[in-house]
Amino acid sequence: MPPLPKLTDEEKRMLNGDEGVVKQKCMQYLVEMCQIAGAERLVDLDGTGDMHTPGLELSQHIVITIDELAEFAEQGGKFKIPTFANKSPFSEQPPIHGWENCNICAYKNPETRHDDPEFHKKAMHDEEFKILRKMGLITTHSCANYLTMSYLPSVGQHCSWFESSQMPYCNATLGARTNFDGTLATCLLGKAPYYDMHITENRYGTILIETDRLIQTDLEWDVYGFTVGEACDVEVPVVTGTTRPTTTQYQKFNSACSTGGATRMYHLPGITPEAPTIEHATGGRPFKKQIFIGENELRKTYEILNFHTTDNVDFVYLGCPHLNIVDLMILARKLEGKKCKVPLWIMTAPWLYNSARDLGYLEIFDKAGAHLMSGACLAAMGAVPEGVRNIAVDSAKQAYYITGCYPDDDYRLQVCYGSQDDCIDAALTGKWRGEWR
Amino acid sequence: MAEKIRLRGRCEYPGCVEAEALVAPRYLQGFTNVSPENGYTTERNHPLFKVPYTDKVLVFYSPRGSGGFLMYGFGKKPAAFVHTKSSPLTVGCALQARVPMMTDFEDDPLKYIETGDIVLVNADEGYIEITKKSDK
Repeated sequence: MPPLPKLTDEEKRMLNGDEGVVKQKCMQYLVEMCQIAGAERLVDLDGTGDMHTPGLELSQHIVITIDELAEFAEQGGKFKIPTFANKSPFSEQPPIHGWENCNICAYKNPETRHDDPEFHKKAMHDEEFKILRKMGLITTHSCANYLTMSYLPSVGQHCSWFESSQMPYCNATLGARTNFDGTLATCLLGKAPYYDMHITENRYGTILIETDRLIQTDLEWDVYGFTVGEACDVEVPVVTGTTRPTTTQYQKFNSACSTGGATRMYHLPGITPEAPTIEHATGGRPFKKQIFIGENELRKTYEILNFHTTDNVDFVYLGCPHLNIVDLMILARKLEGKKCKVPLWIMTAPWLYNSARDLGYLEIFDKAGAHLMSGACLAAMGAVPEGVRNIAVDSAKQAYYITGCYPDDDYRLQVCYGSQDDCIDAALTGKWRGEWR
Repeated sequence: MAEKIRLRGRCEYPGCVEAEALVAPRYLQGFTNVSPENGYTTERNHPLFKVPYTDKVLVFYSPRGSGGFLMYGFGKKPAAFVHTKSSPLTVGCALQARVPMMTDFEDDPLKYIETGDIVLVNADEGYIEITKKSDK
């Protein structure tokens, strides 16, 4: 194996098992991660955790049993940092709200219908979550946990988050520091391998992105994000040519750039916290290269994200990443008094579902024939509702992942991708009329 | 017999294995865009769409997208991974796969390896050795 990281005396005690089997397994996992990543040590986390739940299986090779975890919790074991649960629990990925009308079989397995009460109950794994909550896990269950955690990390704090769209939210939008490692091990021990985004040097911008189209609508932010990601992959882009993003636009850009590429950090000069100027963003270093993303490149991305031969739409999905409360308010305004011709599913974070109900949006959606849900995701459930052949979405991320669930020629799923208004129009008419304008 | 090409690199996961190379000319993506049950990528329009990687040396630049890239380490996984750039996505994959994985080479392996070449991945000693298919 590659060299072992330097461990403190406390970390060595954990690795030796002096502090119990749960901490020992967590430390074994982190040491292995350090070796693979080339990390010389662990960093003590002072920010927040976003944990892929339930996470008892740290890897296929290091597994904490439920009895071991129960004993750990019984003896007063706690998460070391404030820790939030990422989207819905376990591989079944059940919706937290709205499952009763979710006519999807998880990963197309007919034994696992999400609208079956027995399956839903089992899929929620209450026994494990009782233990995890006792240890302090805050069960927000969202891929956009920053919307509801109400306790965001500050600039420079070391975190351990999960979910590709949340990597740039933590690193770029908030200026906190995370790698893609939000697990039981990091959150429970409050430690993570010290490499990549924890180190200042790796956070500086290396590629300058320029465009001649002012990026200002939600759709433009989404398409631009995918294109920037594809152009930069693991590099850190300094992105120019935009307006100041709304929360929705940050969600779009962050999810899209970490789908088209592996952009876990970027700078918007004059906007994001580590980039008051381009010089701050680069640390005064020259760019490795400059990339121009013009009208042709944006149109090409739009065309890649569309994958359909027919304009007949039989299902519309909004909520990737989970919609924030302003998105829901605007959507309620747009749908009030209307009637959907084809099913429209709207996905949000579980805690916002309750707010949407209190604010009257749920009733508006119900009357319009739209279905509000929370905590899950089509792609994560690994399927679309039975019989659906052509869906419409307003998310580059969802547009690019959902077809991977249907690779076979006898059932190639088609995707229409465009703006939220194009998707609403499709829900009301059953026709796709979106285009890149 | 032609000379073999040897490139030194960094061991991410140890081991030594020799197998046929499968080269991804574009980024690879996990989550729904890979099928560990079948051992192939399901990303639409990808040059390796449904091309089996099981027991091959999977050669690529770097992954993109979801942390679900780790699913390349499940099921019918490759014999070894050789890639140009590392990231937390490749780290997550190595933790699951526990097969030889190398990166950070003295020169980009994509310049030298083509699909069908035989590649010895000696992560224990920190090098790969390429036998071109034309020289087999």
